[in-house]
Amino acid sequence: MKHTIFFSFVMILLLSGCEEAIKNSDQKVEDEVSQVTSDKKENTPVKANTNLTVNHQNDMLGFWVGYFRKPETENDHKNIYIDEGLAWFRENKINISIDEFNGNEVTGHSVVAGNYRPFHGVYKELDSSYHFSVSEPGDDRYDGKFTFEILKHDSVIKGTWRANNKIEIPERVYELQKKVFSYNPEQMLEYSRRYGNWEKEKKTKIEDKEEREAFGDFYSEFSAATELIYKINASSTLLTKKDVENLKKGDLLIIRNTIYARHGYSFKNRPLRVFFDAQSWYIPVHVDIKSDLTEIEKKNIELMLKYEKNAKEYYDSFGRG
Amino acid sequence: MRITPDILLKCVIYSSLFFFTYLMILITLQYVPVNFTAAFLALKEDEIKLFHYQMAFFTHVYTSIFVLIFGAFQFSTWLRQKFSGLHKGMGYAYISLILVFASPSGLVMGYYGNGGIYSKISFCLLAILWFCFTLLALLKIKQKKYLAHRSFMILSYALTLSAISLRLFKWLIVHTLELPPMDTYKIVVWLGWVFNLGISIIIIKYTGHTSKQR
Repeated sequence: MKHTIFFSFVMILLLSGCEEAIKNSDQKVEDEVSQVTSDKKENTPVKANTNLTVNHQNDMLGFWVGYFRKPETENDHKNIYIDEGLAWFRENKINISIDEFNGNEVTGHSVVAGNYRPFHGVYKELDSSYHFSVSEPGDDRYDGKFTFEILKHDSVIKGTWRANNKIEIPERVYELQKKVFSYNPEQMLEYSRRYGNWEKEKKTKIEDKEEREAFGDFYSEFSAATELIYKINASSTLLTKKDVENLKKGDLLIIRNTIYARHGYSFKNRPLRVFFDAQSWYIPVHVDIKSDLTEIEKKNIELMLKYEKNAKEYYDSFGRG
Repeated sequence: MRITPDILLKCVIYSSLFFFTYLMILITLQYVPVNFTAAFLALKEDEIKLFHYQMAFFTHVYTSIFVLIFGAFQFSTWLRQKFSGLHKGMGYAYISLILVFASPSGLVMGYYGNGGIYSKISFCLLAILWFCFTLLALLKIKQKKYLAHRSFMILSYALTLSAISLRLFKWLIVHTLELPPMDTYKIVVWLGWVFNLGISIIIIKYTGHTSKQR
């Protein structure tokens, strides 16, 4: 009798842990784009100028794009080593948009890592260059001041940014090129940076309080993607069940987010951001692109989200979906 | 009682059968109450709109689990000898559930199976063989041909167990080879029951004459 009770007890204990075996429950598919609830009006350059070389003052209006890096003097321990051959030195692609000149004043905004921040300040015309000194509003913990310079007859912004507060990376340097953004549904991914498995990175996340405060808890698990991400275009072709049913969750994730990248969506999610930042055509322009999506894209997103959820719940479990 | 390898083997077989049957019950419970979007059905939207597919799917899910459970008791010599009435009763339940519900509904589902034409062929073949073996087992016991009854029941239950082995192979493949989902599916759709059939044929061949006849 004693044995029976003991045995039943052990059995119940064992079996109570089984729900996870047939299904990975509570799996949510991260879809930043649909979660954005910004009523923030995004500014655009008033007279966006497509001249890529600065010969006139108005040639400076528009998007200036490149990496927002931590200075080389900064400690290396802030670098993140994701997995073999894949490291991230905390650089993010930034888009500094010069929107309007008014006397010696200038207004604009920057888009980086899913953050849209306006700035305002002054500029000076010197003999061979324009010199800018602008500040973000200062009501965000991560606001700061930009100082940069544009050489005449050149097409590069060079400068620095200093945070108002003590944050993890209080200074940034950048060299930006003028770029013209246009949505191109035919744009395919290039072979630049591989999409890595960031699962190990999760461990470093916890100490990294500031970034978490800034960008939220946006880490999730990924399996690495396969070659198919370079072949399937979910912006130009309506995908069918057959196209997606053999894709791994990493593939689905990248193919779906490539839609957002084509629209210039600025990613909060770190692994996605690092991956898309490395694409030469990619420009972070918007933090909300929900209304820009085409009908094909909306249908494909819906289809892929369904398969992503299924892949997360059932791909590696005993149950099947 | 001395623990012989024989008893140990039985313990292992029955406890794993118990464990996996429990998992199958959990899988079945995902569809209770009737839900047209749960689990497997989330990706079967087009099919689940069809009334006959709805009937087939839920008939299959709700009856097969009992087939699996009833069948598990039927191979015990002790039970068969001590409670022959119980063996008979559960046997009839097992046979009629398969012949009337589980196998025909499986055939309909097989026609709409995922994974292309070869997977559909596999599912349909599985349903047909399942029906045939079970029917033959019934006919043999009616003719009091016990050994043949035993053989066909082993074949029948081997196919019943393909519900478990299919998922087990899937689990093994994604945890070792990490194949994409549909490639994995296309493999296990065949492997899941052909493997079992192979094992059961070996069992029949090597244990048939020695086993006790009632």
